[in-house]
Amino acid sequence: MNMRCEFARELIPDLVGGRLAAEEAARVGSHLETCDACRAEADFVRLLFASRPVAPRELVSRVREAVRAGEGSARRPWWGLAAAAVAVLALGIGVASRGATEATAPVPGFVAEGTAVNVWFADDGMIAGAPALDGLSDDALQALLDELGSGGTGGTA
Amino acid sequence: MRTGAAGETLSDAELVRRAQEGDELALEVLVERHQDAAFRVALSLVGDTDLAQDVVQDAFLKAFRALGGFRGEAAFRTWLLTITANAARGALRKQGRRREASLDAVGPVASTEVDPEESAVVGDEAARARAMLVDLPEKQRLAVQLRIDEGLSFREIGEVIGSTEGAARVNYFHGIHRLRERMER
Repeated sequence: MNMRCEFARELIPDLVGGRLAAEEAARVGSHLETCDACRAEADFVRLLFASRPVAPRELVSRVREAVRAGEGSARRPWWGLAAAAVAVLALGIGVASRGATEATAPVPGFVAEGTAVNVWFADDGMIAGAPALDGLSDDALQALLDELGSGGTGGTA
Repeated sequence: MRTGAAGETLSDAELVRRAQEGDELALEVLVERHQDAAFRVALSLVGDTDLAQDVVQDAFLKAFRALGGFRGEAAFRTWLLTITANAARGALRKQGRRREASLDAVGPVASTEVDPEESAVVGDEAARARAMLVDLPEKQRLAVQLRIDEGLSFREIGEVIGSTEGAARVNYFHGIHRLRERMER
């Protein structure tokens, strides 16, 4: 069975790319044997297909690392959340107790060290979550500060 | 179930489903499977290997961030290539670049690796044909490239270039016609 040129030309890219089923490839192929115009087009498409560029080898690892980094900021790991919660709890207690002791530190202790020694209810920084704060991003720290700054402690001067 | 070494045989739809559940290996398989296509689309639009890589990275990140809302109405590949094309246009706008097509300009083949399986048959004529792609209007260029390089249907091409299936078909055949005319000069 012969095939119309219009239909054959639509399928030439798939023939060249090896994407046709055997039966359909045979139909297109037999058309090309009898049609000079379509055969010339197939030859040209073959040139283009053969010269298609490929991504540099390093792109995969680059994207992989970017995705992982992106996930790190978008989906905080459980230990990060736990550490942040501990830090917020500790700071909250410290800030609350500040009122009782009439402490006047205007900002949380981890920002202005030495100005609010009573902020930490334990000397053990691990309990207070200090090491975890080291691992928080600037944005996360800022969010903590914002939250604490508007936490009903009378605000900052 | 986490995606293992056999993930390469899984369909895109299954990989997307697993990725939506947080399977990082599924994401990696999707990257490896589609990075070449995304790179070719990006390169075709920005004309620069380094910038094309930036675009591909950006496109994958955008796609994965939006994966939760991906409902599978379009194939993942078509969706990703649409994001890539938009990211490429955005990168060009950001840099304020204007591509001036020229037959003498350094084309993608001259500055980029070619598929190793095909490298043996790539000669000057093939490189010249590929380099002439940059002369085509954007929609024709993408239609030719997406049809030949990636095997997208005209309906899928229409989704990527923002046109109807019929317009994508017309863009493809006009592009091929113009390229062949120039090759014969």
